[in-house]
Amino acid sequence: MVKFLKLYEKIGIFILIVFAGIFLAIASPNFLKTDTILNIITQGTYGVIVGFGMVLAITSGGFDLSVDAVVGLTSVFLSLLIPNIGIPSAIILSILISCFVGFLNGLIITKFGVNPLITTLSMATIIRGASLLIAKGRQIPISVEKFTVIGTGKLMGVPNPIWIMLVLFILFFLLLNQTPYGRHICAIGSNESAARVSGLNVTFVKIMVYVLVSFTASINGVIRTSQAMIGIPSMAPGFTLLVITITILGGTSLSGGKGNLIGAVFAGIFISMIYYGLNLIGVQYFYQLLSVGLVLLFALFVDGLRKRYLEAAKIKGIKV
Amino acid sequence: MEDYRLRKTKQKFGAFWGNFGLPLIFIIMFAIFAISTPSFRSTYNFLNNLSFSSYVGIAAIGMTFVIMTGNFDISIGSMLSLVAVLGSSFIPKIGGAVGIISALLIACILGFLNGIFVTKLRIPAFITTLGMLFVFRALAFIYTNNVPVYISDRFWLYFGNGKLFDVIPFPILLMGVCYGAAYLLLRRSPVGRYIIAVGTNPRAAALSGINVDNIKILVFTLLGLFVGISAVTNSANLGSANPGLMGQDFEFQVITAVVLGGTALSGGNGSLGGSFIAALIVTFLNNGMGLMQVNSYWQMVATGLVMIFAVSLNKLKFFLLGQGEF
Repeated sequence: MVKFLKLYEKIGIFILIVFAGIFLAIASPNFLKTDTILNIITQGTYGVIVGFGMVLAITSGGFDLSVDAVVGLTSVFLSLLIPNIGIPSAIILSILISCFVGFLNGLIITKFGVNPLITTLSMATIIRGASLLIAKGRQIPISVEKFTVIGTGKLMGVPNPIWIMLVLFILFFLLLNQTPYGRHICAIGSNESAARVSGLNVTFVKIMVYVLVSFTASINGVIRTSQAMIGIPSMAPGFTLLVITITILGGTSLSGGKGNLIGAVFAGIFISMIYYGLNLIGVQYFYQLLSVGLVLLFALFVDGLRKRYLEAAKIKGIKV
Repeated sequence: MEDYRLRKTKQKFGAFWGNFGLPLIFIIMFAIFAISTPSFRSTYNFLNNLSFSSYVGIAAIGMTFVIMTGNFDISIGSMLSLVAVLGSSFIPKIGGAVGIISALLIACILGFLNGIFVTKLRIPAFITTLGMLFVFRALAFIYTNNVPVYISDRFWLYFGNGKLFDVIPFPILLMGVCYGAAYLLLRRSPVGRYIIAVGTNPRAAALSGINVDNIKILVFTLLGLFVGISAVTNSANLGSANPGLMGQDFEFQVITAVVLGGTALSGGNGSLGGSFIAALIVTFLNNGMGLMQVNSYWQMVATGLVMIFAVSLNKLKFFLLGQGEF
């Protein structure tokens, strides 16, 4: 049983995808076409890209609820900057501004000792307000045609967002598993005071984590804006829940110290498959909210059962 | 010697800040608004504000209990909407009075559900209620098909607009009763001591024979009840229950109030009086900025800044009292 649980922790989400895939293949004749599958994965990349950042945050024992606001902020800055300073510098500048938001988050959390939930929840409100102020409450259309390539273009038949996701995956995977920095994140997440005592620069590591979360959120903002070709200050409402759902469903432990990036990728695709299925039935948007909430609760339910079983096994003396 | 004196002064200031800091902030804020905006000064506006603050104020009681046990609930905004929608839709069938009772019952059940998830499945409260936030809101949408429910029952409406002796709005009275009952529960009953014990040190509480899980479930259920009361008064005041608009940012305001009121997020002791004054601050701040015709986007920014500022101030208090690093 313990072996099974260990296995489930690693590839449980993969089993879910296979089941969902079989179900969808039977329900819809269009499902098993390359276009459909690529489309589903592209939809999934939204949550997955920010999920990479969130994996780091949760692994370090923190949290970030300001990602949806950062997406909106990026969108607004892109729409304002592109006509003035050109596409590449506009993208770089918007991402830098977003990273600064992450820096502020990290600074408040580490230096003022404010709880990460409260900090990022407040920051989300502040950033939303600020984006609305900067955009004067309007939506700003972008007329530079070239910009649309990032979100809708294809390279070798595969949509660009998937490439972006792959590149980020490799970067974050190397960062988390192959560098000292990644090990420091895990160490802080498992036991912060021990990490501090053994000489890690906890402040720096944590601030960088929040900068990276905002970085991924702003990449997502770039992709979304390029697809919509419009700057929307209130872009992506409720997106944070989706990202957290993907992260947890992907097997990242809420108690910190254990991150799972591959799981996040599959979890994002799984959620995207659910959306596709719901669209097939033709239900309203509310049911998507409901399904994400229920999937999250289900994942937590299983996680809770698993923890209980492992604890009981430990007491009985079975080696875990 | 010098060092000792400095420490004494620090402690004195910390104690002073802990006791009088919030009322002081409220008075200063009130004075600024009263001087700068004539429409803010009227008795009518004052009573109205007090009445508005009851929504946040009443729910803040429950949230104080929940945060005191070291938990958290961010589903209350959606809960407010779901309870209001369900309760008011029952009115044509069962009448206003039974409708209110059933609304409160539903609210208790929703809170109870949160409690069960948190305790029996050991899911962190924050994540459970994050999931519930979406489930409740979606259910409210699905149940009404996104059409507001209009309320015409006089008994129900009295809860939001009724006035005692034609002067005191009924919600204010209700808030007073709730705070009185909560005070008795927290300071004059064993349950209150259990809540504090569970928040301070759950292990010690469990070892001394307190059923920690039951206390946590009770606390979540109580929060549900208080949110239910807020749902009834709020929907009565608006005259309708709108599944999408009701309870927007409600959890944010309530948590701001409780944290601003001095209840530590790490659990342990909390302050009902602090939550009350902080609820007033949050409501009066919004109303004052509205009357000063501050852009609503600036209001969002201000609310967020106040929140971070308030939590940092609390840290400052503990630091001055020598209870932790800054």
